[in-house]
Amino acid sequence: MDITLVDNDIKDLTFDVKEGDTLNLNLAAFKGFPNSNIVVKVSANGHFKGAFADFSKGEGKFVLNVILEGDGSSCDWHLSSLAANQDKKVFDTSVTHLAKHTSAEMSNYGITMGESHLTFTGVSSITKGAIKTVTRQAAKIIVFDPLCDGRCSPVLKIDENDVDASHAAIVGRLNEDHLFYLQSRGISLPVAKRLITLGYLKPIESYFADQKLVAKIDGSIEEGI
Amino acid sequence: MSTLTITNLHVAVKDKEILKGVDLVLHEGETLALLGPNGHGKSTLLAAIMGNPNYTVTAGTIALDDKDVLAMSVDQRSKAGLFLAMQYPSEIPGVNSADFLKAAMNAHREKPLSLFEFYNKLQKSYKEMGIPFEMSNRNLNEGFSGGEKKRNEILQLKLLDPKFALLDEIDSGLDVDAMQVVASAIKEEQQKGRGFLVVSHYARLYDMIQPTRVAVMINGKIAVTGGPEIIKKIDTTGYEWIKTELGIEVQKDEQPMNKVSIGVCATREAVAPSKK
Repeated sequence: MDITLVDNDIKDLTFDVKEGDTLNLNLAAFKGFPNSNIVVKVSANGHFKGAFADFSKGEGKFVLNVILEGDGSSCDWHLSSLAANQDKKVFDTSVTHLAKHTSAEMSNYGITMGESHLTFTGVSSITKGAIKTVTRQAAKIIVFDPLCDGRCSPVLKIDENDVDASHAAIVGRLNEDHLFYLQSRGISLPVAKRLITLGYLKPIESYFADQKLVAKIDGSIEEGI
Repeated sequence: MSTLTITNLHVAVKDKEILKGVDLVLHEGETLALLGPNGHGKSTLLAAIMGNPNYTVTAGTIALDDKDVLAMSVDQRSKAGLFLAMQYPSEIPGVNSADFLKAAMNAHREKPLSLFEFYNKLQKSYKEMGIPFEMSNRNLNEGFSGGEKKRNEILQLKLLDPKFALLDEIDSGLDVDAMQVVASAIKEEQQKGRGFLVVSHYARLYDMIQPTRVAVMINGKIAVTGGPEIIKKIDTTGYEWIKTELGIEVQKDEQPMNKVSIGVCATREAVAPSKK
């Protein structure tokens, strides 16, 4: 099942992914920040594939809760968010592993500019009995300007031994070595920053099926940086 | 003919002085081999010429003809005709190689290249360097092997057409075939009249590219300059003769281990209730 939600269509919703089914959920926000709470329950051997391209303006909290209820179910989540001006955005993306052989990948990437605040939180929980579970949670924010604020706090709660779990959080400025490499080839600092930032946000487009939406995301990235 | 002139150059990294008064002159059309033990400042010199922000020039001058290189930004140095092939080229996620090369080539030109011109030049250079053209569509240096990264550095040298190329251990990580390809490309560029400043520990590369002069860096200074015979001497006897013949004590390369701390960040919830 493929579902695409844009701007105001993103609201409090619950999805049930039935046994063996796949839900492809594409979210894109360009206007006001979509304050909402989305719950996804995944049955045995079901798969949830979600991508969120967030270029909205404003403040609020977006919550995603994925519950892997059945054996062999999986979650693959990718977020790219651009916070600018006075935006204050919080993304709380969590996954709960209730069953065996479940796997989850949560990747949140963001850029904070101007005087904006961007926060990525989320808990990957592995409950007792969810053996052979694989879970990864990665959060990365590039901080562009002196007055903006980026925070990442991915958390693992592990209640079972036989699992493979990892998390990573990076908050920092653009990599100085990368900038030096590009500049040493004659590329000016603003263009070097632009190339790196494009490379950071653009990969989200590969998760979107609707090419018109991809073009709109592309335009928002160009406009944003 | 252009000249790169380095005078009394002092360079520090995090308050530690690495270069302690380097004097060196390089003319276009020359190939200068820069040798010396590890940790004595060869790479520091190359990085400082290119303007790496991790290296602070505390005294001295670098001039490209009558232009003050130290007053230029890194990209201006490139546009003025300097090129550094790095020992460890950065892997830059998300930056497509072809997009990067196009931006770099256009930065050196007043009028941007047409798409047709760009792809023709690109295809030709990839072929000459023995790199599959499909790699132009990959992220810059990401997932490249050591040899692929080094070939990619020389590919950029060919495309950017500098007056002076600084090669920092371009032969490390190369197998025999790749070494041939890289050496042939350097020879071809030598014939175009470029100046080369080449750092390598191995006589093999120097045998292939035939330097015109040799300089030996000891303790952050140029201790000896001379002809190619010095390479053979160092290759067979090491640096001991510096002490016996010149009376210079060669300082040992001391690299104290950085302070590290390893923490645990995964939390394990208590499984069994505590017994009372």
